[in-house]
Amino acid sequence: MTDFSGYPLPDNCPEAGECIRVERPEPGLAVVILDPPHRSLAVLDAPLIRDLDAVVEDLEQDTSLNGIVLTGRAPGQFAAGADIDAIAQLTDPKVIEKMVLAVHELFNRIEDLKPRTVAAISGPVPGGAFEISLACDLIVASDDDKTRIGLPETQLGILPGWGGSHRLPKRIGLPLSLDAILTGRLFKARVAWKRGMVDRIAKPEYLLEVAKDIAMGRKKLQRKHRGWKAWAMDKNPLMAKFIASQARKTIMKKTRGKYPAVLRALDMVIAAPSESRESGARKEAIAIAELASGPVCKALVSIFKGSEAAKKLGKGPDGWKPSRIEHGAVIGGGIMGGGIASAMADRGIWTRICDLSADALDAAVMDHRKDIDKRKRRRRIRQHQANEALDHLDMTLDSNTLGKSQVVIEAVAEVLPVKQKVLGGLAEIVSSDCIIATNTSSLSVTAIANDIPNPERVVGMHFFNPVKRMPLVEVIRGEKTSDEVVSATCALALRLGKTPVVVKDVAGFQVNRLLAPYLDEAMRLFVAGADPSRMDRLMLDFGMPMGPFTLIDEVGFDIALHTGTSLHEAYGTRFTPCPAMNDGLGENRLGKKTGKGFYVHPKGKKAKPSLATDLAKFQTETWANKLNNAELVDRMVLSMVGEAARCLEEGVTENAQMLDLATVFGTGFAPFHGGVLGYADSVGTTEVVKRLNIIAASPEMTDREGGVEKFTPAKILIDLAASGGKFRV
Amino acid sequence: MVHYPKSENGPSIVLAAGIRTPWVRAGGAYKDEDAAHLGAQVVRELIARTQLDPSTIDEVVAGCVGNPFNQANVGRVIALRAGIPRSVSARTVARNCASGIEAVTSAITHIQAGLGDTYLCVGVEHMSAYPLTFGKKMTGFFERMMKARSPIAKLSTLMSFRPTWLAPTITLVEGLTDPTTGLIMGKTAELLARDFGITREDADQFACESHNRAQAARDRGRFKREILPMIPLGSKKRRVEHDDSIRDGQSIEKLSRMRPYFEKPDGVVTIGNACGITDGAAALLICTEARAKELGLTPLAKFRSWAWEGCDPERMGIGPVHSTATALDAAGCELKDMGVVELNEAFATQVLACQRAFDSDEYAKKKLGRDKALGHLDIAITNPNGGAIALGHPVGATGARLLLTTAHELQAGDHELGLATLCIGGGQGGSVVLERMS
Repeated sequence: MTDFSGYPLPDNCPEAGECIRVERPEPGLAVVILDPPHRSLAVLDAPLIRDLDAVVEDLEQDTSLNGIVLTGRAPGQFAAGADIDAIAQLTDPKVIEKMVLAVHELFNRIEDLKPRTVAAISGPVPGGAFEISLACDLIVASDDDKTRIGLPETQLGILPGWGGSHRLPKRIGLPLSLDAILTGRLFKARVAWKRGMVDRIAKPEYLLEVAKDIAMGRKKLQRKHRGWKAWAMDKNPLMAKFIASQARKTIMKKTRGKYPAVLRALDMVIAAPSESRESGARKEAIAIAELASGPVCKALVSIFKGSEAAKKLGKGPDGWKPSRIEHGAVIGGGIMGGGIASAMADRGIWTRICDLSADALDAAVMDHRKDIDKRKRRRRIRQHQANEALDHLDMTLDSNTLGKSQVVIEAVAEVLPVKQKVLGGLAEIVSSDCIIATNTSSLSVTAIANDIPNPERVVGMHFFNPVKRMPLVEVIRGEKTSDEVVSATCALALRLGKTPVVVKDVAGFQVNRLLAPYLDEAMRLFVAGADPSRMDRLMLDFGMPMGPFTLIDEVGFDIALHTGTSLHEAYGTRFTPCPAMNDGLGENRLGKKTGKGFYVHPKGKKAKPSLATDLAKFQTETWANKLNNAELVDRMVLSMVGEAARCLEEGVTENAQMLDLATVFGTGFAPFHGGVLGYADSVGTTEVVKRLNIIAASPEMTDREGGVEKFTPAKILIDLAASGGKFRV
Repeated sequence: MVHYPKSENGPSIVLAAGIRTPWVRAGGAYKDEDAAHLGAQVVRELIARTQLDPSTIDEVVAGCVGNPFNQANVGRVIALRAGIPRSVSARTVARNCASGIEAVTSAITHIQAGLGDTYLCVGVEHMSAYPLTFGKKMTGFFERMMKARSPIAKLSTLMSFRPTWLAPTITLVEGLTDPTTGLIMGKTAELLARDFGITREDADQFACESHNRAQAARDRGRFKREILPMIPLGSKKRRVEHDDSIRDGQSIEKLSRMRPYFEKPDGVVTIGNACGITDGAAALLICTEARAKELGLTPLAKFRSWAWEGCDPERMGIGPVHSTATALDAAGCELKDMGVVELNEAFATQVLACQRAFDSDEYAKKKLGRDKALGHLDIAITNPNGGAIALGHPVGATGARLLLTTAHELQAGDHELGLATLCIGGGQGGSVVLERMS
């Protein structure tokens, strides 16, 4: 028996032997079924590993066996991989290393079993679940839409540590295994089969029978060997070096080296083809011990858990499910409206987009088609799927034809009376239980809902631009919005492939309320003499997807100013916008849309923007240029942290986890920091308070309107600092 | 002979609502379209406008002449792509150029037989997609190549190839040729011109009037009530809002310059005085008057009678005279009672031939077995908004448009009765008498 002490047990841990069933349907065959009573989907957690160890010991001693099948308890259920909660809890590298090695030993024993072992897998088969399959002689996957196979560990800041980093490259070679491991993609059964990740596919109804036949030798199946390719590519040092350098370049470009796990995995996979089983296991264990106990992994796991929590928002707490939306409408054919309508049509909602302008509608429909054509060209979808997406979007000038809608999303001009009028008119056309969602970014949902009959169905649904790419939707609960409508709206966001975060109806909601002080601070530092390209680079290095000035150019000066002013009205002096913002940078200079802002944006797809040459004339002071890098970053980032703490205090989102999720998915705030509050935790709340106080006391802040208020730490932050506590537990 | 008189105790059946795409010249704006997409789009719009619950539709009936080879039973494809529940059945019917009306009369027959009360009828034709096909020799060659196993057999088959086999069969031309008489439709129109002594001038004059009327109707927004603007698939330009084969400022002078197309040099039928090859789709909601009331709809018109009749395939263009005689009898009225007539303009000579046959006692005696002529067909009330010569003739869809246009014209012109009629390749005529809602 292997020693698994120290591996955290789940709360509802079952008795020994309960997690795995072994059936003997015929002489010489054992079917090992992962069937833990305490999990809805099997997880390779401590009790299951413990029981598996015992089962393998039995199988090793049974000389009557010819074949063994390893499978899940039902079609579509194999296992979900390693225990994420345990990864989040483990902090001692020594314990982690020991645990990983113990599992390696167990998997090696499975690999060494004399009878033919066949894994029959279906449903999600990520990470550890696939790694245990790789230890079997052959893998048969269920050929249906729900099967997803892969090694997504790097997305959680670790790497495949139960043999996956070695067994997969040995099985399918370097290029394909790098693609699988470094991207963490999950593959459909057929693709996985074509790539050699599994040996055969079978329809779910036949899966188990086929696996049994293969295990007993009644159906012949042999693993494909890479043959000469293994020598020419995988074990050829020149080739390996070339592949490695190409892969490294791509990774550095995408991640700026902020994710150690990916680089670590790259090195490991490149060396894997010539590695022995034992030294491979040791290398994996050491890497996991370092990575899993490190901050990046903890941050990524916390985001993963946050998005898992967000997925539950589409249901009521009692398991109540909103009815499925078949018909929807979008009012306003602008970029946002068009994007939302297109996303809805893509997800099979019969969508009508309505606008007063035929030109706007034409543009919206044309963009939808362009997007479909692109996917078709790239073979992401087939012709009939393209037709389906096409057919689900219709346009109309007449709002009277929207009567069937179960949800209406409004994306018209950000003017309260306009929105009230449009939605008021709609309320008379649609049924009284049709969800009326407003895609506002700055107006109060409660105010919009005020005069609408049945205001409990009015909700805010704040999408981000571009709709197709931005993963977050802020679902805003107005004063009268019902819980059912909030759940149904979250369910809709999830159906559109977005992550919903429920936010209180406060000015700027969550994301803009945090972005505004950050951009404002960047703007002030620029006016005070700091170089915009330097600040952009600093924030990129910090881990933001783009620098603040690139972002202002992207958003547009007018929008940034509009947001800044409305937040100032709502929150008072601490949101006083930088006076330079009022004047902008001059006539017709609004950023990317006019071709010039902080940067000059040349036309054409490949042309790169360059810093405008006439910026010096807007800089009235010089002191900011003397600040060092850390000080510059602190002023920008801590302005966000300070406001985030106030948001948490006010309960703008449900909890710190959701707030951080909103910052990561909405602002792109460095995921490896785990979000704004996660970043504060990693710096230490005491340190954050200290730094905030220093900034607040600086002469620049005491001189400027609202400066001190902006950087004065909130009570919750001071309390946490006093006790040395953290936002995220 | 098939006809339907409005029976005293049967349900009153109405054209409750309808809509169509702009008619677009084949190979033009709709070249990347497909029949089901065109059809589904008008069906979705019709359902949205009427707020009909699609699960209450008894059946979808589509009329289409050249059913797309990759959309077998195009009616079903349209129904599914329009979001009509899978449980609602759908079929495709064909009666050549009258397929769009055939869909409607077949729905009426079903309602009369007690099979439901709500039918969604579609007329659709995507003539741009009529394929070119390989001839028998070429397909035979492909077959032999597939069967040839050994390299030598393959080589010898390959050697047998002759480049002339590559010449394609144009299915559009084949489809427009009567297989029993070998005459292409244009030639049947030439025959009628000779029979009735219709001159080139008569024909051009009529064609010119069609364009001028269509232009005027379009400019005063008459078609807005029946056309749904479309953004054609693959289009980078704006929406199409109007029928695009109307020639603004068409003149007899311009028309007279064209050369006869089917019979050179003395023929009278030119491209200019014949209808164009066109794409388009139309959707009509056919239901009982009671059902329309239940849906809160104000129907466009009531069906008074309809008739299908056969005639000489070589003179198929005269079909409307035969079917109209029956339909008028069934309706219990006369040609002069019609406030508006939509007579499909396959060819100018064919419409004029019909006019003369309507007028002729001799034709009535000889061909219709009546003592007296049917009456005078007043060109002033015939196709007041232009016809197929200007608008185009997407064969399977035209019938639906004739009904839709007639119904709207009853309201626009405040007429009591209207006649929609058309000639049918293969020697048939179809006529429907519509009545304004009281």
